[in-house]
Amino acid sequence: MNKFLDWLDDRSGIRSLVKEALYEKVPGGARWRYVWGSCLTFAFFTQVVTGTLLWMSYSPSAQTAWESVYFIQYQVWGGWFLRGVHHYMAQAMIVLLVLHLMQVMIDGAYKAPRELNFWFGIALLGVTLALSLTGYLLPWDQKGFWATAVATNLVAEVPLVGPMLQKIVVGGVEYGHQTITRFFALHAGVLPGALIALVVGHIYLFRKHGIHVKEPRPKRDSYFWPDQILKDGVACLAVLLAVVFLTLYFKGAPLGPPADPSNEFPARPEWYFLFLFQLLKYVPAFWGAVIIPLVFGLLIFLQPFIGASRKGHQFNVGFWWCLIAGAAGLTFLAFSEDQANVNHGAAVREADWQAQRVVQIAQEDGIPPTGAVTLLREDHQNRGRRIFAAHCSSCHRYKGHNGRGYSVEEDQSAPELAGFASVDWVTKLLNYEHYVSPEYFGGTAFKEGTMANKVLKKFDEEETKLLPQVALLLSDLAELPYQEPLEEEQRERYMDIFYDDLACIDCHDIDSEGEGSAPDLTGYGSKKWMVDFIVNPEHERFYGKKNDRMPAFGRDDKLSMEEIEIVIDWIRSKPASE
Amino acid sequence: MTEENITSADANSTNCCDEDSRRKFIVVSTLAVSAVCGVFPFAAGVTTILDPVKKSAGDKEKVPWTKVVPLASLSEDGKPAKYEIILEQVQDAWTTYKNVPAGAVYLTRKGEGVTAFNLKCPHLGCAVDYRSKSNDYFCPCHNSTFGLDGSVTDVKSPSPRGLDTMDTKVEGGFVWIRFQQFRPNIVEKVPLS
Repeated sequence: MNKFLDWLDDRSGIRSLVKEALYEKVPGGARWRYVWGSCLTFAFFTQVVTGTLLWMSYSPSAQTAWESVYFIQYQVWGGWFLRGVHHYMAQAMIVLLVLHLMQVMIDGAYKAPRELNFWFGIALLGVTLALSLTGYLLPWDQKGFWATAVATNLVAEVPLVGPMLQKIVVGGVEYGHQTITRFFALHAGVLPGALIALVVGHIYLFRKHGIHVKEPRPKRDSYFWPDQILKDGVACLAVLLAVVFLTLYFKGAPLGPPADPSNEFPARPEWYFLFLFQLLKYVPAFWGAVIIPLVFGLLIFLQPFIGASRKGHQFNVGFWWCLIAGAAGLTFLAFSEDQANVNHGAAVREADWQAQRVVQIAQEDGIPPTGAVTLLREDHQNRGRRIFAAHCSSCHRYKGHNGRGYSVEEDQSAPELAGFASVDWVTKLLNYEHYVSPEYFGGTAFKEGTMANKVLKKFDEEETKLLPQVALLLSDLAELPYQEPLEEEQRERYMDIFYDDLACIDCHDIDSEGEGSAPDLTGYGSKKWMVDFIVNPEHERFYGKKNDRMPAFGRDDKLSMEEIEIVIDWIRSKPASE
Repeated sequence: MTEENITSADANSTNCCDEDSRRKFIVVSTLAVSAVCGVFPFAAGVTTILDPVKKSAGDKEKVPWTKVVPLASLSEDGKPAKYEIILEQVQDAWTTYKNVPAGAVYLTRKGEGVTAFNLKCPHLGCAVDYRSKSNDYFCPCHNSTFGLDGSVTDVKSPSPRGLDTMDTKVEGGFVWIRFQQFRPNIVEKVPLS
């Protein structure tokens, strides 16, 4: 072994190189405050390795980016963990950058003769942020897509060349294949390359000038190896454990629904860009994207010179504290505004629902070559919710919301339809208090109709006791997919109540050729009954002339037959428990 | 050497042996911690590289049945006919393809049973022709010849084995096949998976 090392050293001079690297003098002894640079190097090393491993399964195109990330997340052995580590280490890097920067500022390590290295550091900060920005587009999910749309629109604010620059970055006017390939080349090629070049310069300059010692020196001088490396290593280990903890706690990195320009999404950047997002609520985009960064950038560039005097140094440190406090304040505001916004919460839950749904379909049916976005667009559950929200929810509600979890501004003026025609739903319908409440017909003319005033209100105690059985009978007619059918004997018994005891048949037909004055209940709540009803509620089988504002969706071509069937299937499916 | 410099510097203070063991402890811990940090990024993703190996381990039993043709359309005199195999579903990593042409077979009917030969020559994968004149199979690339039962008939044939058969069954009046490819140019018939 020694012989080999001698040979290797003779040919390469490796021993003196290692000695040079390890026996850097640390004046004043090893200290915890020097660990941040090593932690950042470790974090970057982790990102290069895990990023390369992710690359082995990632495919950058509009039809395969989300799909391959889904594959990594849900199909590849341990893929979720790898992706989680890459995701949370990226966030850890941002935190470490701030810590490193603040240590340098407070210790005054940015001042002469280290100006150049300070600028290298600031450039590294910029490259790292650019890596984050380009990274979260790559899964091509809704979050990446919409957040990047905002970021690239800001590029257009640059004077003169902005719109051209935006086209170059996006790869055209629309977001698509070229956006992903360009962002991927930046994320996995250009930016890491630039970062490595800058780090080499950064470390070279750091070695040239040596550690900037913070006085007073606590101990006598020592060397980088092993004392400082042990402290660095322990700090890296702490970063590693934090990242592993976050990965396990959140079960890997999130993956939203696939990018879809026709599907609205509450665009929010990652938490470390939230302050910029919030800032844009107060200042014009041109200021946020150009003026403020320029002014701050120039000021930061000059800080090594400003810091030459005692006052100047205090100003510099104060500047960064203010910047951090300001960013923290804006981040807090962004969070709390979203917390207070009911519809933002609904939008987030809707996106979560879509994300879960698309993964469920992908696992059951696979993803077609056209990509996962078509799975959601064609999914009947998703379309049912959307059709309900767009065409039904201004009058009806679904669990009190619009079918997709959003609250509705208009007052409810037609029945709640979650669990429509189920035993519970019909039982309540047959109760006078519920019937005239806004939950059912309280918002309609039927509140004062015959059924309310002359039937439900007038039932005596004996008759009221029979109503649950009528509810069972009517609900059975609906043949809901999630309810067991009645026994034949039960059905006959309840039909007797319908015909004789309560004489419902006087107005409502079931399997009879009468001309009841109230809606025909033959096959009530079944798919066919609902199709006929929604096609034309003014048909004499249903409300006839008594119809109160319910549109004839089919007769008047407001919805296609396909859409009517999709929304009916959705209404007739079991409401998810919340 | 610098190593000695440090030791002599350390010797200036306190007890030499405490200092030695302290130093040893620091060196060992530093190496251990560095090793953990250095290995971690690779360890975090090593399973993703091994994934294809892990997945293919259980694949052999999972060859799906593919519907080919009605049994009635095969001639009863045992004359082979060529059919395209269209797999109902093919999974390529994250993409699911439907109705994918995957290759072709020769089917020969024997009563109610059906024999299937993969069209690919077991030598180097050229498509084998059926010659009705000599009633045998012939590979136009390197002149391997096979009898109707699939066995190599000419000693000069370079093919190391006879034509590759696959499982077939007749169900609901249709011929079904478990379509597979096999490793070429070896004596044993080894499915590719």
